[in-house]
Amino acid sequence: MGVISAIGNSVAENLVSLREGKCGIGTSSFLDSKYASTLPFGEVKWSSEALKSELDIHTKGITRTSLLALHACNEAIKDAEWSREELSSSDTALIGGTTVGGMCLTDELYHDSKAGENGSEYLTSYDCASVNIFLQQHYKMNGIANTINTACSSAANAIMYGARLMQHGFAKRAIVGGFDSLAKFTVNGFNALHILSDKLCKPFDQKRKGLNLGEGAAFLILEKEEDLNGKKVYAELTGFANSNDAFHPSSLSDEGDGPYIAMKKALGIAGLQSKDISFINVHGTGTENNDLCESKAILRLFENIPPFTSTKSNIGHTLGAAGAIEAVYSILNIEQQEVFPHLNFENGITETNLIPLQNRQQMNVRHVMSNSFGFGGNCSSLIFSKY
Amino acid sequence: MFYIYQHSCISPQQTFQDIDLNILNDAEEGKLKVVETRYEGIAPALLRRMGKAVRIGVGAGLPLVKENPDGIIIGTANGGMEDCIKFLDQIVEYNEGMLTPGNFVQSTNNAVAGQLGMMSRNTGYNTTHVHRAAAFENAIMDVDMLLKENPSNRYLLGAVDEISSANYNIEILDGSYKKEPVSNKALYDSATAGSIAGEGAVMFLAGISPQNAVARLDATQFFQAADINIVIDRLRHFLERHLQPGENIDVLLSGENGDIRLQPFYDAVENELPQHISVARFKHMSGEYPTAVAFACWLSAYILQQQSIPQHAIKKNASSETVKKILIYNNYKGLQHSFILMSR
Repeated sequence: MGVISAIGNSVAENLVSLREGKCGIGTSSFLDSKYASTLPFGEVKWSSEALKSELDIHTKGITRTSLLALHACNEAIKDAEWSREELSSSDTALIGGTTVGGMCLTDELYHDSKAGENGSEYLTSYDCASVNIFLQQHYKMNGIANTINTACSSAANAIMYGARLMQHGFAKRAIVGGFDSLAKFTVNGFNALHILSDKLCKPFDQKRKGLNLGEGAAFLILEKEEDLNGKKVYAELTGFANSNDAFHPSSLSDEGDGPYIAMKKALGIAGLQSKDISFINVHGTGTENNDLCESKAILRLFENIPPFTSTKSNIGHTLGAAGAIEAVYSILNIEQQEVFPHLNFENGITETNLIPLQNRQQMNVRHVMSNSFGFGGNCSSLIFSKY
Repeated sequence: MFYIYQHSCISPQQTFQDIDLNILNDAEEGKLKVVETRYEGIAPALLRRMGKAVRIGVGAGLPLVKENPDGIIIGTANGGMEDCIKFLDQIVEYNEGMLTPGNFVQSTNNAVAGQLGMMSRNTGYNTTHVHRAAAFENAIMDVDMLLKENPSNRYLLGAVDEISSANYNIEILDGSYKKEPVSNKALYDSATAGSIAGEGAVMFLAGISPQNAVARLDATQFFQAADINIVIDRLRHFLERHLQPGENIDVLLSGENGDIRLQPFYDAVENELPQHISVARFKHMSGEYPTAVAFACWLSAYILQQQSIPQHAIKKNASSETVKKILIYNNYKGLQHSFILMSR
């Protein structure tokens, strides 16, 4: 696994921060937006220049999103101890989710889209695909590569797609994950929708005022059970499902139909019942709409509500990266047999009153459900299990 | 491998509803823009809010979602680029002030799949593949796997990309289009770099049963390579794997786009195949864009169905024999390549 977020540049650093209940959200140092100092953001604590020099990248046209992705991917590959041959084999897939891709360079894009001359170095870097195309070239990869954008569930769908490619024999192993960086474009988009909170986000709280945007990247290395040969296994991906809420372009249906179907189908794929879930990493963005609808869907599906938290209060909503970063966190729950505190919580939502777990504690974590729901009604749910 | 029962295509040519491929529409100002339709079934207020990518995607998809597919799988490199740039303009013009979110919501890559799901109340599998010129190929792959997982299901498979002022200008700066004025009718005659801009929306209804099928999609393979030898090697493996002994392709549908820099790839692929097969081209009809290969799939399905290749598309050997198998080869900017095999 590999991860970079507002609370750490590695899996180990993220684990320490989660245990300590650290919040990485605050004013932004690197975002070029007038909201940088007035709204809270979950920013990675390195400038793009620092990332470039840390990663020893000197090629032109590489965006912050690509740098974050490369950083997390390097860590994951090193962790898996893959050889160069394994990495470049035509049996190795690379699947990533993102929403902003290279559009983090909002001003450069604006300039290049208007100018008739003097194009910037980023002409082929603005789309979502640019990040994985860079990684394909950087690692000299020859297997199936893909980028998925289903808004905030992008990475969850990327993980699911990679796993399915392996099940169907189109890949023997896969690098799956997600990445997004803070961008003037998305900040203004979410601000125009009036769903950004000017305070620290309060997922699942009655007084929640909206989300905080974050950035980061995470990758998981998937291998088949038959190829393990004694390798270290963090967890098993046992369930995954995708459903469309089919209600509204930017909000969930009242009873959370899409979330309900995604969670229910994921249980079906895993061959589990709702009572088997030890813990839920909820989508929990802190918006009025998401937290209420997700609560209702959880109440519909679970007779007894498992312990749950939202890590959005640690790192903000990292959009296309969220499903992957939270997959890493869910796997840490399993590996450490431990759950981490949910921050900034005071009172449950009057209508549903689901109370997140607010203290770090050791517990028997067998199956973790991780939810990701996005604009366009795109809802996905993953289940990781102790191997 | 799966079957196609219905198809729908909004393109620069007369491909929607009253299909007539004998007429070849001209490019205007170096752009092959789609012929838009009246979009029946979309409420006027909703239609006004839609950017072109969403409009043509939904317009092409609506007749097919009526068949209640079990999921919606779309490939697009850029989604609603025009909305994206309109929102960008707002950001700059109002200095990040109070903006209206409509363009932002429409600009997301998954807006077409989301909108189609919403309009048809389809809560099935819904996803959007965006890996530039492998976006549609990945969508094919996804549908192929979905149908193995759920053999009785049917899925909507589609692709959409638009020409917006933004990506047009950026592609111009990147040298993707010809500097000199070019007619799509003479696209393949030029010996210069660059192609001609295009756009389109293509939708298929796909399933595993051969009953009522108009065509079959056998397989796809896609990869990144800068070396022609790798492309030829991949082609050999692809054909070995997917053609029965003694079986051959009847038509190569080549993604040639008039860009002299890419011609060596297309020539090498053509030369690798038996000399007697027909060779046809499609980018004078669709123009060049990241998911143009979806137009080639639509054209292949139509050729297999009609058993006739439009005269203006033929490059070599207009065979009068039955067209049973078509191989599509596409190359995007000399980096992303794909093969798609389609059968009657």
